[in-house]
Amino acid sequence: MLMKLSYLLLAGLTNGSVYGLIGLSLSVIYGSSRVINFAQGEFVMLGAMSAVLFMVTLALPWPLAMLAMIAVVIVAALALDYGVYRPLTKRKAAPLTIMIGTLAAAIVVYGLAFLLWGPDQKFVPPVLSLTPVRIGFLVTNTQQVSLIVIFLAFLIATWYLLYRTRFGLTVRATGVNPKVALLMGIRSERIVQFSFIFSATISGVAGMMVGPLLGGHVGMGLLLTVKGFMAAILGGLGSPFAAAAGGIAIGMMEALMAGYGTSLYAEPAIFVLILLVLIVRPYGLLGDYEAERR
Amino acid sequence: MLRLEQVSAGYNRSIALDNTSIEIPEGKIVSVVGANGAGKSTIVNTVSRLVTVYSGKITFDGRDITASKPAAVVDMGIVQVPEGRQVFAPLTVEENLRLGFTRLASGPNPAQKYRERLDYVLDLFPRLRERITQRAGTMSGGEQQMVAVSRALMAEPKLLMLDEPSLGLAPMIVDQIFEILQKLRRDGLTILLVEQHADEALQLADYGYVMAVGRVRAEGPGNDLRDHPALRQSYLGREAVS
Repeated sequence: MLMKLSYLLLAGLTNGSVYGLIGLSLSVIYGSSRVINFAQGEFVMLGAMSAVLFMVTLALPWPLAMLAMIAVVIVAALALDYGVYRPLTKRKAAPLTIMIGTLAAAIVVYGLAFLLWGPDQKFVPPVLSLTPVRIGFLVTNTQQVSLIVIFLAFLIATWYLLYRTRFGLTVRATGVNPKVALLMGIRSERIVQFSFIFSATISGVAGMMVGPLLGGHVGMGLLLTVKGFMAAILGGLGSPFAAAAGGIAIGMMEALMAGYGTSLYAEPAIFVLILLVLIVRPYGLLGDYEAERR
Repeated sequence: MLRLEQVSAGYNRSIALDNTSIEIPEGKIVSVVGANGAGKSTIVNTVSRLVTVYSGKITFDGRDITASKPAAVVDMGIVQVPEGRQVFAPLTVEENLRLGFTRLASGPNPAQKYRERLDYVLDLFPRLRERITQRAGTMSGGEQQMVAVSRALMAEPKLLMLDEPSLGLAPMIVDQIFEILQKLRRDGLTILLVEQHADEALQLADYGYVMAVGRVRAEGPGNDLRDHPALRQSYLGREAVS
């Protein structure tokens, strides 16, 4: 009984960490630009597929492969910035238009990745070991544990950056009012660019870590965008912690419903739950002041 | 100190400022008055480089800033208090002030400089001292205006531009703000004041400009302009005067 529950909680925590990482990275971009990036899951896909490219095809050791992977997602983030965000903001496009632009970018990235890797599921090599490790009666592996640790590390790093540094203050100010941020002498464009890069790195690392557990294929991005988006709106898009907590909540619900009911109904049940939450709390469970002021 | 030479500017190819020349001498208060839509705010936003300049030249301390970016203009010491105050509502008063300090944050000895500037603005607006941890959006309009002015002063500006500071405020609060502006001038600050309330603004000013439909219609020492026909013309339209 207890064993099953703790096993499910661990599974939920693992999936929740992935959704949490995506929710976190969505809210980092939203925080500085008020844009919901529909190409976020593609960064995760690029992370996983880059692991295949650099660790299997080119046989690089994992630290080098991780640096190369981060370089790939940073290039993708810059392409999104210069190819979609800047041209559209320059023409004073509404946030919704920019969001549709990110959706178009997601489709382009998917198409390019398809040409490169094809449609098949690829084996993503683990950075750390997948060998089962026993902690008490729990069976896990270092890859899974490190995913959870990385989630916590990024969460703390993001919190520190946004709420404890001067730079973070300028990021938050740019999200609240980019025009007035400019009038303070803040280079808003660079702030937004940084948030794209930071967010893409979080998602890329998430992809590299979860690849071995989920399997990697070029179409994995869309579902992950949806899950990350659900996490972010369940918790509250305005705050990275709320979005991350939303991710954990969804991961847990998924695991518990699959464990005690059937995995068939897990997803629709979660959607219904989120709808109910949003009816009562339109800004998410932990929807904070920053979101409500808008 | 600041000079606009035959500047035409506007948004999306429309012309909001038509061949306008304005000069702001160091240490003076210059007021630009005129009715809504006369192009007053465009002047401030043109100097802040938020508006496209089609022709003409803007210089500050002899340096051409026509092609500069907004942040570069702030770095030079031209700081704006935007229309409608526009404090960062979800952030605290202190965070708002800290953002105003951006210009000096990368300069020498920022921590000490920050405390100096903070003490300076909190002495000007003692009320903010008690409210330093309050979220700016929860304050009254007058208090938000104090935050907006203080935020700009945190940058230790050479030229302070205020866009309609009296907008939506009670007359008593407006008087307070204008008194502070006088005090700032005595401290040596150069001020560009854009106002719909012409009489108070011109009374305060060393020099003034009356604008209508994107052009300067009259200029002169502030007090001389207060009963200038162009003023009535600007607010009431041409027919009403003739």
